[in-house]
Amino acid sequence: MTTWIRIVWIVVLPIIALLISIFFMGLSRKVIARVQRRYGPPLYQPVIDLVKLFTQHSNISHGMIFDMGLIIALAGSLVTLLFIPVAGIHPLSSSGDLLVLIYLMLISPIGMALSAGASGNPNASLGISRKLTLALGYEVPLLLVLLAVMTQSGTTSLLSFVQGQSMSIFSWGLFRLPLSAIAMLLILPVMLGIRPFDIVGAPQEIASGPQVEFGGKYLALASIEHGLHLFIVIALFVDLFLGGAANLGTFFLKMLGVFLIGVLIGAVYPRFKIDQALKYCWKWPTLFALSGLILVMIIGG
Amino acid sequence: MDRADIKKALKDPHKWGEKYSLWATYFCTGCGIMEIPPVITARWDAERFGVKPMATPRQSNLFLITGYVSIRTLRAIIISYEQMPDPKYAVAFGSCPIDGGLYHTSYNTVNHLDRYLPIDGWIAGCMPRPEAIFIAVTKLWKMIDGGMVNGYERYRENIDYYRRNQERVLGKEFIDSIPAPAMVKP
Repeated sequence: MTTWIRIVWIVVLPIIALLISIFFMGLSRKVIARVQRRYGPPLYQPVIDLVKLFTQHSNISHGMIFDMGLIIALAGSLVTLLFIPVAGIHPLSSSGDLLVLIYLMLISPIGMALSAGASGNPNASLGISRKLTLALGYEVPLLLVLLAVMTQSGTTSLLSFVQGQSMSIFSWGLFRLPLSAIAMLLILPVMLGIRPFDIVGAPQEIASGPQVEFGGKYLALASIEHGLHLFIVIALFVDLFLGGAANLGTFFLKMLGVFLIGVLIGAVYPRFKIDQALKYCWKWPTLFALSGLILVMIIGG
Repeated sequence: MDRADIKKALKDPHKWGEKYSLWATYFCTGCGIMEIPPVITARWDAERFGVKPMATPRQSNLFLITGYVSIRTLRAIIISYEQMPDPKYAVAFGSCPIDGGLYHTSYNTVNHLDRYLPIDGWIAGCMPRPEAIFIAVTKLWKMIDGGMVNGYERYRENIDYYRRNQERVLGKEFIDSIPAPAMVKP
């Protein structure tokens, strides 16, 4: 990739990600409605919501950290996005980007924590404490999964791992590292924060958690950040275990499949408590991830 | 419903957004809240109109006051209303907020809510059916189209009148303790 093409993709990739994630948000509302035998909102309802939020007259701020935290969170998501290869588009990929990714994925929760802390609402602090506890829960299996990936391929570059899967369907990570793939699939709803694990922003318990004081443009930016996070996690799963894709269409279809599994599970399950979620994260996904790692170490890459 | 009319949406995106994305705070003051769960769940499904319950007043722009308003809840209603971002619409549900209804002679309820807050629409009845909420929503759309819902502007313009009435019921200490509503001009 020449420098100019890289710069063009740095601008274009977030826009593509935003469009796809807005489509996903609309689709999830419609699918959940159909599962519950409702008619549901139109597919473009998130667009209406975002237009409304951006055009609201008054936007109440709670100080500079409140504004900056949200921008840090958004920037963190945007930078993380550029490190993930999406269907051959990889503007910032280089050697060791899997390690960079692990660190970058923590920026946006920290930004949200800053912003929510500055709002001074007890519900926001409760939500943040739940968010960090949940992160503690899923980081353990996630790190084990990534360690297995790195051991098996002998590289810390996500890009070369994706390129190594492009030969045939059986060179996908799903078949090379089945136990790790299961572990990652099990923690996927936790990382996405969808229904059985939407503990952080539980509207009925803690009044939507970190977003409790957000309104107008702030809420719009927060939901865009949430959408980008959705895109990042699903794209990471597709890159690691479903072999990436040669073009955007295939990549989108694979993402859609993974997302629909999560939404359909979320449509029928009630919410867990935080201790149940932590127990879940440290039990089955960790077990699968650990045995996957040990298997890889015994068999070798 | 002209929700899918792209030309109209591009002409005035603000109005399009306001009309079809009414996020509601339901204020559970009384028995009226019983009619809300069927409205937002599978039976009547308010989400197909873009009406969605939100957790806090900061995020919502439709304020539904369901039931009688006692003097204690009036405080919470005023604080919640002033926390909502503009433009906001307040709708009173049931006959109690209109004139006291069943509790007209009670010492403890506020009989005419529109003396304390600007109400944009009323749903009369005891109880109104869930369908009445949808009729109210479609009527609200028409009023937004015609530019007839300006409760939040009226509140800002006549803040002295409303504060005077609030002070008579709630006392001076309460009025002094709440900050003035943001005087942002659209």
